Amino acid sequence: MDISSFPILSLIIFLPLVGALVIALIPRRNLGAIRGTALLFALATWVASLWLVLGFLPGRNVVASAAGSFQFVQAIDWIPLFGIQYKVGADGLSVALVVLTTTLSWISILASFSPIRERVKEYMISFLILEVGMLGVFLALDLFLFYIFWEVVLVPMYLIIGIWGGANRIYATIKFVLYTLVGSLLMLVAILATAFTFQAATGSWVGAFDLEKLAGAGFDGTFQLFAFAAFALAFAIKVPMFPFHTWLPDAHVEAPTAGSVILAGVLLKLGAYGFIRFAIPLFPHGAHVFAPLLIVLSVIAIIYGAIVALVQPDLKKLIAYSSVSHMGFVTLGIFIFQQQGLQGAILQMVNHGLITGALFLLVGVIYERTHDRTLAKMGGLGAVTPVYSAAFGFFVFASVGLPGLAGFVGEFLVFQGAFAFNPWVGVTITFVMILAAGYLLWMVQRMCFGPVSEFLAGLGHHLTDMRPVEILTLAPLGALTVVLGLYPALVLDLVAGPVKAILAAVDPAVALSIGR
Amino acid sequence: MTWSDLTVIAPFAAAVVVAALVILADIARPGNRHLALGVALAGLVAVGGLTLWAGQAPGTAFGGMYKVDNLTTFLDMVFVAIVAISCLFAPDYLEPRGLPIAEFAAIIVFALAGAMLVAASADLLVLFLGLELMVIPGYLLAGYHKRDALSTEGAVKYFLLGSFSSAIFLFGLAYVWGLTGSTRIADVAARVGEVVAGHATLSPGLAMGLAFLTTGVAFKMAAVPFHYWTPDAYQGSPTPVTGYLSVGPKVGAFAVVLRVFAEALLPLRQEWLIVIFVLAALTMTLGNLVALTQDNVKRMLAYSSIAHTGYMLVGLAAYAAGVIQGLEGLLFYGAAYAFMNLGAFAVIAALQKRPGVSSRLETFAGLGRREPALGILMVLFLLSLTGIPPTAGFFAKAYVILAAVQAGGWLTVLAVIAVLNAAAAAFYYLRVIVYMYMRDPTGEPTPVGHGALLRLGLAITAVMTVILGLFPGLLLASVSSAAQAIGVAIR
Repeated sequence: MDISSFPILSLIIFLPLVGALVIALIPRRNLGAIRGTALLFALATWVASLWLVLGFLPGRNVVASAAGSFQFVQAIDWIPLFGIQYKVGADGLSVALVVLTTTLSWISILASFSPIRERVKEYMISFLILEVGMLGVFLALDLFLFYIFWEVVLVPMYLIIGIWGGANRIYATIKFVLYTLVGSLLMLVAILATAFTFQAATGSWVGAFDLEKLAGAGFDGTFQLFAFAAFALAFAIKVPMFPFHTWLPDAHVEAPTAGSVILAGVLLKLGAYGFIRFAIPLFPHGAHVFAPLLIVLSVIAIIYGAIVALVQPDLKKLIAYSSVSHMGFVTLGIFIFQQQGLQGAILQMVNHGLITGALFLLVGVIYERTHDRTLAKMGGLGAVTPVYSAAFGFFVFASVGLPGLAGFVGEFLVFQGAFAFNPWVGVTITFVMILAAGYLLWMVQRMCFGPVSEFLAGLGHHLTDMRPVEILTLAPLGALTVVLGLYPALVLDLVAGPVKAILAAVDPAVALSIGR
Repeated sequence: MTWSDLTVIAPFAAAVVVAALVILADIARPGNRHLALGVALAGLVAVGGLTLWAGQAPGTAFGGMYKVDNLTTFLDMVFVAIVAISCLFAPDYLEPRGLPIAEFAAIIVFALAGAMLVAASADLLVLFLGLELMVIPGYLLAGYHKRDALSTEGAVKYFLLGSFSSAIFLFGLAYVWGLTGSTRIADVAARVGEVVAGHATLSPGLAMGLAFLTTGVAFKMAAVPFHYWTPDAYQGSPTPVTGYLSVGPKVGAFAVVLRVFAEALLPLRQEWLIVIFVLAALTMTLGNLVALTQDNVKRMLAYSSIAHTGYMLVGLAAYAAGVIQGLEGLLFYGAAYAFMNLGAFAVIAALQKRPGVSSRLETFAGLGRREPALGILMVLFLLSLTGIPPTAGFFAKAYVILAAVQAGGWLTVLAVIAVLNAAAAAFYYLRVIVYMYMRDPTGEPTPVGHGALLRLGLAITAVMTVILGLFPGLLLASVSSAAQAIGVAIR
């Protein structure tokens, strides 16, 4: 079938929703069918996303508008009175993140088979709706539609943490929702104000929510400041940037394994994606004015996350703070407005999704056996569970940024950009790499090396090595980590177009002239 | 009286006839609740049909005292829907408590007639008549569970403050009439316009009249600081009555507001804009803050309904600033709020089917496991009340916020206050979900069956909550023509 005439993006977005509806019809006792259907639809969505990649590649370098070059654009009038459309489209950036999402989704669903035994039906429905929301965010080209998907993500994650989470789950999940909601509602005001400003200028609501029309519309300088601030707050909370990060460790610690995987793997990327796709192209002047502040906050996040990670007694908390640090690289790379930096940031988004996703899966594996995540109780796993220890070591090295594995290239590009931007920033964040190596390698040491701890020895034969299913969930992530480490061009080539478009949008000569 | 007068007032007259028929049915077959309820529901369908039919030919009747325009038709349809849905989910709650259903149906249809009269009034005296016909049945309904002390207490408070506010409203009306010489809304608007054009300042008498009118209406719609009757009246009333009281008289009060402020006193909009601005900010914020601390869901929804009044006032403020979308947003909000709030109350009523079950948060513990369908519906209504897309509540909030943003200036600040309030409200709405899905039930309550009518009512409210969220365009045309019926003067 010819892909260009097929609404492939809508298929990808709504396939999980169909899955959720099908599951709703299955009797709740039939756990096998519920799990199977969820996995089947997640896999089908994944296959569709791979098909999208194949269809997308030939036309990837065509730049069409200030917002980027979108393919497979599908636009249907939805609320014509306000020019609101159901409009979806994909550029290289969205394609990369869609594939990340669909991959992590089926892996997460597969990884949930064994740990989730209560209310499986509700869990799988929530998970598939969560996938709909995430894919929608990455593909929406209408601000109103984008906002709807953005909020759709919130509810299932709220339920996943709140129902299937740990002891302190209710506090964590309400904190997560309230933080996100404050940011996103202010963004809603900014979205509506943007649309109205466009309507007032053109005299018509047509295209007032259309990203492609709004990007490069050249809004008034003062307006850009306010609007960018509102968007940036929403995205900064989601990333999360320092000092809005405090919801993240709580959410990670309490979330079930698969929830953590998706939270770290995809949800944090929504914020970074929002900056790149919406906040910067829409309000380049605002972006320039706020960039110094955001760069400072990013550097603080990089250092602070690493230092705090050093002293965490809980495995999940440690990885959560390392995420704060790693996402700092992403936002730093974005706001230095420079080619290597932006490329590195995008690559780092994908890499962090793969690697941290895998690390949370590995924490889940050990938690399922020990029902504990306290680092102090671990030790000597290398002798008891060699496969597990090898996998753990592999992903930790990838996270540290070992050359040849995915983590390296992204961070290296951000370093390059940072040095070009300001040597002091470059030196500072390079220094943090030592800290990162410190907390991550120390974690491996405490987990895997040395004599087997009393606690683990007490578990006896319950402490089994990884099962084939668990290996199956990690294998694709491991393979991608190696492939992207050796051949990062796979992603870099895909996002070359969007990177060019965004850098053109924030060209200081154009962006800064608006305010004067 | 001419034939055309009759066709214009047909929907209102039909509502009165239906109420009378319900009483007759109850007299003819005492205790046959199916008959009374059947008459009421069939009658409501007929009233709805007549409303649509009469709405096709807008016109006035009785020498211009009664007016049917697109706004009337829109509001009437919302009222009919509110009353019909209230009748659908009432029996499951009333029957086990031995409360007479025929009386409930008759009283509530009389209230409908009053609300319809308000919506159709072109004269301030007719408006007052409608207002009283609308609220007096409300007092009766609130105290209708005679043996329940809370119900009686709530009803007495509601009655005293309600009559008090009616008197204040009437007093303000007297001032306006004295200074303008007419009670026709169009005449009042014209005279007020002349006064405003003649000398820039407001005459003290008119200002006083305006203040009294505002106070009276603020009581009726439970705007802060005139909201004190609400929590007691809502908590004490039988749950289906509370559901009705939280939406019916509220939308009715907004009908009064539209006829008085948006029509009669439109030339003075710069003056009352400030009042509405302050009322909106106070109402949203205080309603939400107090709702945060409630552990009884009915009382929590009572305070949250105060907050929703505040959101609707944001639309009114935007309209006062010259943005007709404010009016449209307010009307859309009213319709959306009616469905989602009635839905939430229907779930509470279903839970309280067995007498003695409280409406405290603990009642909801483990609901998601006990009754999955009710649980999911409640989640839907709560998310809609919070304003999470894709639900009706989200689009309604977006609509009034859009209007405020369009008005610009200080109203942008009001929009920001509104969204911060929406975020705060998420806390208490989501707390109910926490109880339903994240806590285990305290005891093991025996499951109860739910009546077919209740299921139908839940289905209607749920479907409307989703449809108005996904395809708000379906309602936008009527909302917009309703707003234009009175909004032409401003642009």
